[in-house]
Amino acid sequence: MKIKLTSIMVEDQDKALKFYTEVFGFVKKHDIPVGHFRWITVVSPEGPPDVELALEPNANPVGKTFQEGIFKQGIPATAFEVENIDQECGRLKAHGVVFTQEPQRQGPVTIAICADTCGNLIQLYQRA
Amino acid sequence: MLTSDRFVRLCRARDMLREVGDRPLTIDEVAREAAISSFHFIRLFHALFGETPHQFRIRSQIERAKELLAVGDSSVTEVCMDVGFSSLGSFSDLFARRVGTPPSAYRRNVRSMVVVPGTLPKELIPGCLTLMGPAFAVFEKHPAAGSLRLGS
Repeated sequence: MKIKLTSIMVEDQDKALKFYTEVFGFVKKHDIPVGHFRWITVVSPEGPPDVELALEPNANPVGKTFQEGIFKQGIPATAFEVENIDQECGRLKAHGVVFTQEPQRQGPVTIAICADTCGNLIQLYQRA
Repeated sequence: MLTSDRFVRLCRARDMLREVGDRPLTIDEVAREAAISSFHFIRLFHALFGETPHQFRIRSQIERAKELLAVGDSSVTEVCMDVGFSSLGSFSDLFARRVGTPPSAYRRNVRSMVVVPGTLPKELIPGCLTLMGPAFAVFEKHPAAGSLRLGS
């Protein structure tokens, strides 16, 4: 059994694809129309090339409630690993990304939290 | 950085923008409630939620209208009032621009899909996209592989 696919709910798939590629720097892998929505996945240019993140529409009211609920509690929807967290945060801020937590050492990792403008908070972490 | 206090106030402001009272609050009033200057409020709101307070309010109104048209018993005029518009003309125009069809046509189209009274049609709710991912990958390579539908 392998984990090759994970997903994150997004408010607007077009805007999400733009943010996740142009700001986070991921690369589009799939973009297939499916009914009213699209099957969109991105991969990290830093690899592995076959682990995909699906940008799922949050149109299911149950999903939206959950997404908004954890957002309000300040809880990140997912976490991405970075090589150099200070550099990454600086780069994202230059793109106008807003942080709810500056890089902070927490045991073996340094973490920061930012908004993805698609309805989620995202945790970035750097291993010590 | 957004302090947690400010973060909470921005989340609350978003809820306020969604509310439909007797008179919708102006963006300045919502900013004042959030204790942030209007200019900063709009800038921060956009950075956090990906759209301006005004865009968010319009989108919420349209979404609520879509829901009411799909499942409710109210007339288009009542829906228009319920979501906070005072003019049916501007509501219909805006709705048609955003959704692609006027409210009445939207209702007809959506109603034709409804199976269970009082619930949203399955076609409008993405079901198990993630589970279907591998199938989409196959579909992309072999478009003839079959027809895929949402919500199944």
